[in-house]
Amino acid sequence: MELQPAYLLHRQAWRETSALADILTLYDGRIRAVARGVMRPGSRTRHRLQPFTPLHLTWQGEGELKTLRIIESQGPGAMLAGEGLICGLYANELMSRLLPLSMPVDTLFAFYAALLEALPFPERRGGALRRFEITLLEALDSEPVFLDEQDRPLDREGRYHYDPSLKRFRPAPLEGPAFEARALGWLARGDWDSPGLAGTARVLTRQALAPLLGSRELRSRELMNELMRRRRTGAR
Amino acid sequence: MATFSPLIDRLLETLRVLPGVGPRTAQRMAFHLLERDREGGRRLAEVLGEALEKVGYCERCRNLTESQQCSICDDARRDDRALCVVESPADLLAIEEAGGFHGRYFVLHGHLSPIDGIGPGDLGLDQLEALVHQRQIEELILATNPTVEGEATAHYIAEQLRALGVRCSRLAYGVPMGGELEYVDGGTLSRAFMGRQPFGEQG
Repeated sequence: MELQPAYLLHRQAWRETSALADILTLYDGRIRAVARGVMRPGSRTRHRLQPFTPLHLTWQGEGELKTLRIIESQGPGAMLAGEGLICGLYANELMSRLLPLSMPVDTLFAFYAALLEALPFPERRGGALRRFEITLLEALDSEPVFLDEQDRPLDREGRYHYDPSLKRFRPAPLEGPAFEARALGWLARGDWDSPGLAGTARVLTRQALAPLLGSRELRSRELMNELMRRRRTGAR
Repeated sequence: MATFSPLIDRLLETLRVLPGVGPRTAQRMAFHLLERDREGGRRLAEVLGEALEKVGYCERCRNLTESQQCSICDDARRDDRALCVVESPADLLAIEEAGGFHGRYFVLHGHLSPIDGIGPGDLGLDQLEALVHQRQIEELILATNPTVEGEATAHYIAEQLRALGVRCSRLAYGVPMGGELEYVDGGTLSRAFMGRQPFGEQG
């Protein structure tokens, strides 16, 4: 097997000196694999097998649980700190929770790599996160389609609610929160990182992800909310 | 493996709770205690039982101790103005053995790890905040591990305590002593490079 580009999403200790790794690979999608001996003191691969670091891997095993064989790091990963780091943990948690094993997701892999590049810069963070989320939704066949329930184009002056089960939009009552068709039109054209659309894009991807995540809240999102809450109370 | 005594089997099985002990090592340990050193075995059982019974967390720094306060917190000569936050008692010992730090500690017993469901509530962070507030601490040294989780933990603590006006610092990344650059991993090397120090200014 040839070395394959990959990122570690998460690892946990397994037995005494090994780790159980959740990995995103370029051609084989998400895999779970045992990394033998990486938790041994002085293991050289221990430092390499870190999240957000571009890796090259080979593995063996036909079953669901693979065994990693070669682990090489391809240069230093993104230097994530602070909020960028928590956003990175969010992306990893999303994929760990939602991606089925062994489903090829090479486009998502590319957008994830782009996300990691963007995360250290606060002004690029939102747009990159939204593009990543939309690509993940597409991979899971759950992305919003910018049409109404009868597959007609959206009325440019209209206001809409999103229905994740249909992946379509329904006309919204005049009162209360709703998506403006104009903003949706920009998103339909792929304008995910325009600053004026940040709020709309965030709410929309969140609504689209919600049914996939079920009732269990994302821990990294809770952590981010907690941090924001503390910051607000601290600033007072 | 042949079995001839249920009790010995249980002993072998139980010894394997220790890290690094597989079936062969467990067997060696059991036969050593039974055949050569029953007295030592009795002492081991006694002390182990007592330690499990009595050792808990220091009420001030959460280090392991059988008293209300650990010996570091009890030591009046230590500097109250500096507080070093570590992930585990083993990290605390490593810093103590390295020497050079004379302040106090706070032990988290873990790190933030959202995917594993370990949140701020599990790390005693409210206790840490109260400690920093009460003790007029000037410098908080965030000595969590240089891993993704350790970094997230350090960030969270710094944000939480920002309002208290305490100065936070983080351990530097560096090249190991006596090491060769060629063999240092890229991540460490690039961070060490970015955190380089002025040179040739002293004497």
